[in-house]
Amino acid sequence: MADITAAGSATATVDKVAPQPKNRIPLLVWFGLIWIGFILIVALTADWITPYRFTAYDLRNRLSPPGHVLHWLGTDELGRDVLSRLIVSIRISLLVAFGATVISAVFGTVMGFLAAHFRGWVEQFVLMLADFQAAMPFLILALSVLAFFGNALPLFIGLMGLYGWERYARISRGLAISAGAQGYAGAVRQIGASPARVYLRHILPNIASTLIVSMTLTFPEVILLESGLSFLGLGVQPPMTSLGNMVGYGREYLTRAPWIMLAPACTIVLTTLAVSLVGDWLRDRLDPTLR
Amino acid sequence: MLRFFFLRLGRAALTVALVVTFAFVVLRLSGDPALIIMSVDAPPEAIAAFRKAWGLDDPIWLQYLRYFSAIGQGELGQSMRDGRPALELVAERIPATLALTLPALALKLGIGIPAGIYASLHRDSLIDRIVMVTAVAGFTVPSFVLGLVLVLIFSVQLGWLPSGGQESWRHAILPVLTLGIGGAAVLARFTRSAMLEVLGQSYIRTASAKGVPWPAVVRGHALPNAAVPTVTIVGFMVGSLIAGAVVVESVFSWPGVGRLLVVSVANRDLAIVQCILLLVAITMVSANLIVDLLYGVLDPRLRSGAKAGAH
Amino acid sequence: MSAPLLQTRNVTRCYGMRKGLLGRSVEVRAVDGVSLTVERGRTLGLVGESGSGKSTTGRLALGLEKPDAGDVLFKGAAMPGTDSLAWRQMRARMQMIYQDPLGALDRRLQIVEQVREPFDVHGLGQPKEREALAFALLQSVGLRADQGRRYPHELSGGQRQRAVIARALATKPDLLVCDEPVSALDVSIQAQVINLLVDIQQELGLGLLFISHDLKVIRQVSHRVAVMYLGRIVEEGEADLLLSNPAHPYTEALVSAAPVPGRRTRPRIVLQGDPPNPAARPSGCAFHPRCHAARERCKVESPLLKPMPDGRLAACHVAHDQANFLKAAS
Repeated sequence: MADITAAGSATATVDKVAPQPKNRIPLLVWFGLIWIGFILIVALTADWITPYRFTAYDLRNRLSPPGHVLHWLGTDELGRDVLSRLIVSIRISLLVAFGATVISAVFGTVMGFLAAHFRGWVEQFVLMLADFQAAMPFLILALSVLAFFGNALPLFIGLMGLYGWERYARISRGLAISAGAQGYAGAVRQIGASPARVYLRHILPNIASTLIVSMTLTFPEVILLESGLSFLGLGVQPPMTSLGNMVGYGREYLTRAPWIMLAPACTIVLTTLAVSLVGDWLRDRLDPTLR
Repeated sequence: MLRFFFLRLGRAALTVALVVTFAFVVLRLSGDPALIIMSVDAPPEAIAAFRKAWGLDDPIWLQYLRYFSAIGQGELGQSMRDGRPALELVAERIPATLALTLPALALKLGIGIPAGIYASLHRDSLIDRIVMVTAVAGFTVPSFVLGLVLVLIFSVQLGWLPSGGQESWRHAILPVLTLGIGGAAVLARFTRSAMLEVLGQSYIRTASAKGVPWPAVVRGHALPNAAVPTVTIVGFMVGSLIAGAVVVESVFSWPGVGRLLVVSVANRDLAIVQCILLLVAITMVSANLIVDLLYGVLDPRLRSGAKAGAH
Repeated sequence: MSAPLLQTRNVTRCYGMRKGLLGRSVEVRAVDGVSLTVERGRTLGLVGESGSGKSTTGRLALGLEKPDAGDVLFKGAAMPGTDSLAWRQMRARMQMIYQDPLGALDRRLQIVEQVREPFDVHGLGQPKEREALAFALLQSVGLRADQGRRYPHELSGGQRQRAVIARALATKPDLLVCDEPVSALDVSIQAQVINLLVDIQQELGLGLLFISHDLKVIRQVSHRVAVMYLGRIVEEGEADLLLSNPAHPYTEALVSAAPVPGRRTRPRIVLQGDPPNPAARPSGCAFHPRCHAARERCKVESPLLKPMPDGRLAACHVAHDQANFLKAAS
């Protein structure tokens, strides 16, 4: 897990596809986009498409393998439908990851803007926090906070929301400083615009594409972090379920019913893969400087 | 150089101080330590005595200073469960963790760096493609999934290797592989892109254009320059020797520091969590410090202090 | 007569600069005790090589940076603190034209939206009328309405600079600081933009601080000229006098290097030595290593900026000695 934090976004399949004509979307990116669309639809329509309630028992069909007439992806120890649980897990995991990514982006951008605006000790303080965050394995920090506070879902999302904020802070600080020194932001400030106007109306729209690319690159890491913590039993708590949670539960039945674990595991892998492929592609298209 | 060294040393000390502050803030925010550490139904006199002993009624800055000095003297509290010193409990787990992370580190370095260099020198070759695909997988497949899949294949299906526990060296094979494969792939990709970046520079073209043999160009110019970014990620790997196996230890029921951390978090054994947090911070910071100093050796430009931080 | 429009009094601006391995921070005086005055309806040309501190002087004059010493007076009142509310309101009275108009415009907004921005910021006019006002402004600088609907990258350099000028004029300012406004433009476009600025000045009675390294451009617009070298004014006076008969050897060199129509009347002086480096200021007169007339005294004693008999100011031992000699002789 710690390696993942350090490696940042480590997919480069798109590098090889780069020489292609600009407007053609590579095959792998198509796959990524389709999968993301699919998973979003699943998450949004979870209430209607789950065949059963995700907590419903079917005691006559316990541990039935995939392909069962009533349970396409099989059932677990208590006869709960794996497909239904998977669908609900996708929704929860995406919710956590999406919420966390948005929180982190907003927080990081605000910190970066504050650093760029006030400079001096404010900037030093933000940079020090960013260095600290980058130097410590986030998993350990997160575990310590969970130990002290316990894990309610909102708190858990908030905690995940601290993941990666330093990247947005560095990006927004750097771009805001360069926009202010000579560029359009300095010119608008010179017109007499308030800082709020300078940052929100001018700088933010100008750096939005970079921030969005950065979010796409961070998103898979958040999914991995969430599923890792939930796998350890320290993230999303039963009866709620998430992808990592399901893997952790399925691990107990690895010998007898590997499908309980494999279904959510494949979903995690495919989702992180899809988002990083799209993220890398977006970066190469929109912002090659971001590396 | 001396100034550079002290600057980095100060930065490292600052990071550790920040971690201590972090622990203190989190501890205070999470509620009344007296009630957390003592059980809820403890007699009021006992709680009062505890508050007095820990100075919980003093102003917050005094408590902060006291907390700082206690930690400075190595007083990291006792485990709630069996009352033994937290440091001792953590320390006796370290060998088990190192037994996984050290071989895994060797695996990462031994495979990752040569594979990355080879891939960069033979772009689009079979090895290059394997490196790239594995690197993508190493990033997108979480370690617990990889570990469980390995167990599924080698323990459940083939029955070759044990799936958990710490009885013999054979028990270590799967966890070390789990840790090593992903890391090796990430390192290979990193080395490859660092090398490609360097190989595209004009001084490489100049060197080969003026007739320096290609192997000498690679040895003399490309490798040293590509080493700078690669050292950072290796430093991070060294820094996570203690705590980099949290998930994998849990998958394989390996009684190391990571497993202890997870159990302590679940049990809210705060002294142990705090102790591990500090230990990790000190390891990470020391590794970063070494990396920074190595930077100074590898890249004289950075010595002037013009570059703040290792990023 | 009321106070001059803009006055800087002994403004100094230092930057820290780290040098060497053990990196003691060296203080570099980008601007060192500069006093300038800009009158209403008049243009002060500020000329100097790059690194001479002329752009920093412009930023100090606008209050975009705070001087480390000295003060800036606008209509006799001290400049309010940078980024304070009073400072922001004061932007309506003083505006800036930039060297790089593309950089000074927000590339995600249409030209007209950016030109109307000062109205929004300072609450001028009714919100509904502002767009019409912006189009009128664009027309007054020679841009059509359809060009106003475009984005900055869709316009030519000269058109962009016109848009920047339109935006600067929105609040009807009293002072315009132009920092190399035409050096990024084609020569043919330069004249148009300069003529536009001169017309606007005559129409609105603006005070102009016109910063340029190009003496030819300075000559076209300025009433008075100040020459800057390594953060200090070395000569200042009426444009005609100074440019036709420079007193300071540095001005002399600049004038001789600039092309003039007709026959060259004086020999061309080519500056010797390195261009100025503010971090390593020579002793005495900072110009002496490159000066053709330098004497022993110039190496040790820094000349003061003093009035000459003809009214101009100059900081040169040689020039003052010559003037004194002539006075004594007559």
